[in-house]
Amino acid sequence: MRRLCILGIGSPSGDDQAGWMVVDALLARGVQTGGEIVIDKLDRPGATLITLIEQADWAILIDAMQGNGQPGTIRRFDQQDWPAYRGGLSSHGFGVLDALMLGRELGSLPPRVDLYGIEIGNAAPDRESGTGILAAVQLLADSLAAELAGSAA
Amino acid sequence: MTEQLRSVAIHVPVLARVEGEGALDLRVEHGDITQLRLRIFEPPRFFEKFLEGRHYTEIPDLVARICGICPVAYQVTAAQALEKLFGVELSPWARDMRRVFYCGEWIQSHSLHIHLLAAPDFFGCSNAIELAKIAPDEVRRGLRIQALGNELMDLFGARSVHPVGVRIGGFHGAPSLARIQIMRDKLRAALPEAETLIRWAAAIPMPQDDQAFVSVATQHPTDYAIETGGVGVSDGRFIEADAFDAHFAEQHVPHSTALFSTYHDQPYLVGPLARLNLNHARLPEPVKALLAESSLALPSRNLFHSLRARAVEILLALHEALRLLDAYRVPDSPWEPVTPRAGIATGCTEAPRGLLWHRYEMDEDGRVLSARIVPPTSQNQGRIEEDLRLSLLNFGLDHPDDALRLHCEKVIRNYDPCISCATHFLRFKLDRS
Repeated sequence: MRRLCILGIGSPSGDDQAGWMVVDALLARGVQTGGEIVIDKLDRPGATLITLIEQADWAILIDAMQGNGQPGTIRRFDQQDWPAYRGGLSSHGFGVLDALMLGRELGSLPPRVDLYGIEIGNAAPDRESGTGILAAVQLLADSLAAELAGSAA
Repeated sequence: MTEQLRSVAIHVPVLARVEGEGALDLRVEHGDITQLRLRIFEPPRFFEKFLEGRHYTEIPDLVARICGICPVAYQVTAAQALEKLFGVELSPWARDMRRVFYCGEWIQSHSLHIHLLAAPDFFGCSNAIELAKIAPDEVRRGLRIQALGNELMDLFGARSVHPVGVRIGGFHGAPSLARIQIMRDKLRAALPEAETLIRWAAAIPMPQDDQAFVSVATQHPTDYAIETGGVGVSDGRFIEADAFDAHFAEQHVPHSTALFSTYHDQPYLVGPLARLNLNHARLPEPVKALLAESSLALPSRNLFHSLRARAVEILLALHEALRLLDAYRVPDSPWEPVTPRAGIATGCTEAPRGLLWHRYEMDEDGRVLSARIVPPTSQNQGRIEEDLRLSLLNFGLDHPDDALRLHCEKVIRNYDPCISCATHFLRFKLDRS
C-alpha cells in the first residue's frame, strides 16, 4: 500500500484556517489517519515540510492563497508552475513553495505531490472563515475523498 | 578618481532571508556615506500591553507567540524572572530540562540560519534552492539537524512551534524514559554531523573585516550560558538582570518601529559571536578541541564569523542535551508549587539571536501590571548600522549598486535579525548624488 500524507497548512486566523478545515472535513468523511495514511494540520512548517513528506509516496497539501481570484476559488498547482508563485505569503521568508522547490532540488519529494490552494479573503485573528471559504472546503474535501476512495479501490 | 567620488543612492525595498520586514536606505555623496538607515517598518505588535492584566499562569504561552523561531527563549526568560520573584526553587530535574529544551531551539534556529539564510551568500547563490544544486549533501544535513532540534523542542513542549510545555515552577509534563532513550540515540548520531558542519563552516571563505565593538552575552560561572546567568560585557563588567536598566537604554528613532538599544551610549553586539567571544572558555572540552582545530582566533572582530559561531553552538547544544539526558529520570513531579507575590521580576537568557531580557511588575494575585521585553534584534540594530557603515567603507563604495546591495544584505544577515520579535527587514535604497 502506498504511504499517503495529507497536510492542511494554515493558522487559526479567519480564512487562513482553510487548509485545516479541509483536513477536518476529510476526517468527517471517514478518511482515517493511521497505518499508511498520515493526516495532519500544520502551522508555518517552513523547511520541515520536506522531512515530513519525504518518506511518503503521495502527498496532498492544502494551503490558503491570496491572488486575484474570488475568496473560495480552488486551484491546483502543477509542479512546473511552482517557480512562478514563489515569494508569496510566508511568515518567515520560507514558505510552502520554497520548501517544495528545495525538496525537489534535493530529490526528497514524494513521487506524487498534489498542491491545492484555496483563495482567501480576511485572515484576521478571531475571525470566522467566510461562507465562500466554507463552501470551498466542503467542495475540495468531497473531491479528495472521492479520489482517495477511487485510489483505494 | 571620479569613479571613487561618485554619489550613489541605494534602496533595498525588502530584505530577503530575514525574519520580518525592514528596509535599508543608503545615500553616498561624493564618496562619503551621508545617510545609512536600517528601517524597520513592521508594525509594532504591542505584546507588552497584551500581557497587562494577565495571570502569571498564562505568561509562558502568551510570550511563546512572540516568535515562531525562538518561542522557548521567551518562555524560559519569563519563567526565570517570575520564579525568582515568587521564590520558587526549581527541582534539579526541571533546571536541567529547561536547558535541554533550550538546546533544541538553538539547534533548529542555528541550522536554519546557517543553511537556508546565511550560507547561500558565501557560495554566490541567491537562496537555499540554488545552494542545494551545488551543496546538496550539506543542505540535507542542515535540514536533518534542524529537524532534530525541532524534535527536541517537541519532546518538552508538545510541539515545536509555540510550544506549551513550560509552566512557572517547571514543566507541565515529563517525557517517558523510552522517548528520552530514542532522543539520546538521535543526538548521539548527530554529533559527527555537527562536527563535520564546523569543519565545513570553517572552510567557507569569508570577507576579511576587523571592527572594534562591545560584546554582550549572558555569563554563568561554570557553564556556557544559555538559560541562566547574569549579563557579561567584553569590558569586564558583570551585570545582574535586575540592574540592566542602569547600563542599557532603549530609545525610539524616527526610521524604525523597533527600539534602538545602547550600552553606556554605545552600540553593542549580542548573539552567537558575542557569546563565543565571551564564553568560549566554558565550552565542553570536545567542542573546545574542535574549535582550536579550526583556528578561529577569539575574541573575533569579524562579524562574518557569526556563521562559524552558530556551527560551534550547534555542537555545544548537542553535547549539553546529551550530557543532561544521560542522567534522565522521570521526576515525581515536573513542577514545584507556586505562590505569587507582588513585586518586580527580571530575567535574562540567551535566545539564539542573543540576549533576551524581561521585566514584569506583578500584583499580589500574580497578575501583570506592566511588562517590558528587550529582544536581541532591537539590541543589535545600532550595531548593524555601525557595522554597515564600517564594512561598506572597508568593502569600497565604488562597487556597482548590486554589489553594494548584496554586501549590505550579507552584513545584515550575519545578525540573523528577527524583525518580528523586534517590532516592534530589507528594503534597500541607495542614493548617489
